Amino acid sequence: MVRKTYSTIGRTTRRKDGVSKVTGREIFASDVVLPQMLHARVLRSPYPHARVVSIATAEAEAMGAVCLTPSDCPAWLYNERQVSIPEKTYRDRTVLPETARHVGEGIAAVAAKTEALAEQALGQLAVTYEPLPSVFDPWEAMAPEAPRLYKDIFLGDVVLPIERNIACFREMREGEVEQGFRESDVVVEQEFRTGRVYHHQMETKGVVCRPEPDGGISVWPTAQSIHNVRQLLGRIFNIPLSKINVHRIPIGGSFGSSIQMNTCIAICAALALKAGRPVRLVLTREEDLYDHCKYPSLIRLKFGVKKDGAIVAGEMTTVVDIGAHNIQAYPLLGCMAGWFVSLYRMPHMHFQGTAVYTNKAPACAMQGYGNPQVSFAVESLIDVIAERLNMDPIDVRLKNYVGLGETFWGQGPTVRSVIRSCGVEEMLQKGKDLIGWESRNRPEARSGRFRRGIGVGRSFHTSGTGAPMSGEVIDYSTALVKFNEDGSVDCLTPLMCHGGGTLEALTKIVSEETGVPLSKVEISPADTRSTGYDVCTHATRGVYCGGASARRAAQQARGILLQFASRILEVNPEALKIRPDEDLGQGVIYLEGAKGKSITVGEVAKTAQIKSWGTAIAVVSHRQVNCPPCFVTNFIEVEVDTETGRIRPVRAVAAVDAGTVINPDLAAGQLEGGLCRGIGLALLEDTDYDPRSGALTCGGNITDCKIFTALEMPLTEDVATFFAETEEPSGPFGAKGVGEAANNCTAGAVANAVANALGLRFTDAPMLPEKVLARWTDYLREKRGA
Amino acid sequence: MTQMEYAKPRSFKELDGIFESAKGPLRFIAGGTNVVPDLRAGTISPRLLVDLSGLKEMAYIREVKGEIAIGALSTISDILASRVICDKAPLLFQAARHLGSPLTRNRATIGGNLADASPAADTAPSLLAMGAMVHTRRRRGKERTIPLDRFFLGPNKTILAKDEIITRITFAKPKDPSRGRYLKLGLRNAMTISVASLAVSLEPEGSSFGGARIGLGAVAPTPVRAYLVEKKLASGAMDPKNIEACAQLITKEISPISDIRASADYRKRVVAVLFQRAIQAAVNGGTP
Ligand SMILES: Cc1cc2nc3c(=O)[nH]c(=O)nc-3n(C[C@H](O)[C@H](O)[C@H](O)COP(=O)(O)OP(=O)(O)OC[C@H]3O[C@@H](n4cnc5c(N)ncnc54)[C@H](O)[C@@H]3O)c2cc1C
Repeated sequence: MVRKTYSTIGRTTRRKDGVSKVTGREIFASDVVLPQMLHARVLRSPYPHARVVSIATAEAEAMGAVCLTPSDCPAWLYNERQVSIPEKTYRDRTVLPETARHVGEGIAAVAAKTEALAEQALGQLAVTYEPLPSVFDPWEAMAPEAPRLYKDIFLGDVVLPIERNIACFREMREGEVEQGFRESDVVVEQEFRTGRVYHHQMETKGVVCRPEPDGGISVWPTAQSIHNVRQLLGRIFNIPLSKINVHRIPIGGSFGSSIQMNTCIAICAALALKAGRPVRLVLTREEDLYDHCKYPSLIRLKFGVKKDGAIVAGEMTTVVDIGAHNIQAYPLLGCMAGWFVSLYRMPHMHFQGTAVYTNKAPACAMQGYGNPQVSFAVESLIDVIAERLNMDPIDVRLKNYVGLGETFWGQGPTVRSVIRSCGVEEMLQKGKDLIGWESRNRPEARSGRFRRGIGVGRSFHTSGTGAPMSGEVIDYSTALVKFNEDGSVDCLTPLMCHGGGTLEALTKIVSEETGVPLSKVEISPADTRSTGYDVCTHATRGVYCGGASARRAAQQARGILLQFASRILEVNPEALKIRPDEDLGQGVIYLEGAKGKSITVGEVAKTAQIKSWGTAIAVVSHRQVNCPPCFVTNFIEVEVDTETGRIRPVRAVAAVDAGTVINPDLAAGQLEGGLCRGIGLALLEDTDYDPRSGALTCGGNITDCKIFTALEMPLTEDVATFFAETEEPSGPFGAKGVGEAANNCTAGAVANAVANALGLRFTDAPMLPEKVLARWTDYLREKRGA
Repeated sequence: MTQMEYAKPRSFKELDGIFESAKGPLRFIAGGTNVVPDLRAGTISPRLLVDLSGLKEMAYIREVKGEIAIGALSTISDILASRVICDKAPLLFQAARHLGSPLTRNRATIGGNLADASPAADTAPSLLAMGAMVHTRRRRGKERTIPLDRFFLGPNKTILAKDEIITRITFAKPKDPSRGRYLKLGLRNAMTISVASLAVSLEPEGSSFGGARIGLGAVAPTPVRAYLVEKKLASGAMDPKNIEACAQLITKEISPISDIRASADYRKRVVAVLFQRAIQAAVNGGTP
């Protein structure tokens, strides 16, 4: 396929926010300083489950601190995530709770002139707790006699009783799964686990809130969606949205950790409103580690296949330990079902998912939203099928993958769309050559201390959650584009960039559409009072959905500009084109083939202003009616040290089918970053709780909660990244997403590489050295015994 | 964090003055890379923090008459930048390279690393394997010299008195610097706390190991010497059989615990592996 050539799209350029970031001049939430500002600290429960009987604040107040206790807070229950429609939103928490449900849950807060004073005041709060029995294991939590975290919560506006700590349950069927298994020649089944990974975003969550004289509030939060923050604050504190201004401020990494309105925002807002002064609240790393984590997974997976490798039936049962709050377990289960059924065709399928409350830090979305977990299981089991049928693992994948023209339902049963671009085969073939698949040996052929193996893993993510019909998830974006009087362009959107270059991509899209050179297209500062709604930068939707709205706004503004130009040039506007002229630093409007009939964008915009014709400006609110899969493929070679159990990734190929790639270097960076976290999910990352105290065994310190660094990755020259040559008809200039996809297939590829190295399969991540060594020893013993 | 006082003496005389007037428990701080996290975690709560970083006379690295002396305030980065250490005591250089990250190494001092007495302290096994001495100073200039293997009493416990500071660490220049190896096993390649660490220093004589010294980290309540293994190594030949037997013995000489980083069993197994690898490398010699 021949790719279209673009002037800006697909070019590697210097990042617009690069200088401010590398020189330390970027302002993050924690850098916001306002006159009269107070500093807040939060008192956190040392108990995993306890009723807060009383909080004495007199001594702290005597020190000059403003204190906030549950009785100061609105009683309205909220869910910090606002992406689902209200009827599907589970509400179980208040600004400060009367019952703490995990160690580290905030139960009171103080604000004082300095952070040190606030810290001291915090020490003066006298709390009486009534400790309650707690439960940490999801299976134990479902037992009838288990301690209950909730009697009831709200689902939308309806009271929802909670039985056996089950937060929600979803079941889906297609075809007749039992019949499918009966018709299969081979049935494989295994149980898989992944860890309770901490997001490890570089910036801990923070916020600054300023109460306004009109009863409103201004907010500078760590957030992935400023509009959702505004809507929630409006609802919780009963303030008209027109008086709440939430500012977009750069975020120091997210991995999904700020998809929701972080709970510290509500606490800080309540403090600011009570104090009548601006308040700043920035979490420590320990607090952040107790705030959220990735959904851990426990998956039982079963496939039935024909002798030729065709999958007939698939069944997945999962129990998700969501921790103390139900932030988004319902859509998660729908997505897990979607990830499961959309990777490979299966005429008969059955999915059952149960989300269970326990007294741990609540789990929320993290890069892939259940997909790395599901793909780890699916891709592992596909290799097991290949092994059983004596087929090449790649052939099994090629035989069964869901591809062009087929329907898939990535983000749950209500989000179905047809695949119109697909680079699956290309990535498998090319990746196979790059890694040297043909030289891949069987494990029996290896000996010695170091064993190397090669594995493949596939996956995908949806580009957003758009679909023809509106379903359970909200998805649309709003953007404004305007031509300035010197020929430069402003693009205003509440869309967020998590560091991956989302807004950078928007400038390229707008530059391409308007014909104005990239150097003259900028993203305007955004806040909720001056922008239309955008659901959130999540679900790998930034470029595909946010970019599509910006492109449409640019198209409309361009149309207006060409109307103005047609008056000047006396040419029908439809006949006019615009091309960027880097030397002039201008877009040039011209009539093809006609000399003299040309004028710069700047001249037109200025003329339109002088003659009072108006500004070429357009606002567009747009929903994508598709959520095309961005497919990914990893090939990974690992080396297992059979004396220590350490697994070292030595070479990797990471490929994505992102449609037209807008920022090639940044997209490659996403692939490498996804690879790093995926290897971490497979080999290292987890958090664990001490069942006696309910505290994290790492104590909230990253000393014992590590992620891999560049030093544990294969050398840069041993990592190859590439992009499939596809174009997505529904995407802006053919683009799809990358972000989450980059991470989704890695753990599966690692597991398959380890199995290829040792002849021993690990189904429970992380594969820590100690576990590997113990199993390897047992395996050798059994082999010798047999 | 509770309220505390802070003092920064510029001389030993000023330090003595602080001792005289101090009320309540005091704590020294050098680079602060242990003290600050400990304060935040609330595991220590001194009334007075005595900052030693003003005692500039304690920051040096020099070689005098076959002895290498390192002032207690020398940072890990100073050690890595020192020609003396790089050329003459590469065993310590290797350990320093494994400690933390560049940021940490720029602040962390060798005195702090030893005084903190973590079983996993990275400089300890190498210093033990080189037979290092700890020189201290108490109030009014009372000095003493303590062999490093008698310095540690338990996790975060040393033989130091409340008013006693480490002034310098000394050891004899190794006879053959190329015969030292430090190996560290953690959950990643850098910026990691040891699951187990091991330093060997050999002084082979003909076909025997001669004087062999072995320091171990993270496999006992303190960093330790493996005396039984050293003896067995020296009494046997420099051959694979002896090494193998010593690897068996080393697992008996240690008393590791199970913690968040690894189980006692795993530590025993990998210490034997580290031992064999380090000995092999040290026998082969050359730059690591
Ligand atoms: C991110 C990070 C990573 C780390 N990684 C490692 C690692 O990989 N390996 C490792 O071994 N350590 C590591 N550490 C621990 C620490 O950096 C080292 O132990 C360091 O050498 C301590 O030196 P310091 O000067 O910072 O000590 P401080 O924190 O100032 O003091 C430590 C202790 O020693 C006492 N003390 C300090 N100087 C003296 C003196 N002259 N006389 C008497 N007592 C004294 C103090 O009272 C205190 O009890 C790490 C720390 C951090 C924060």
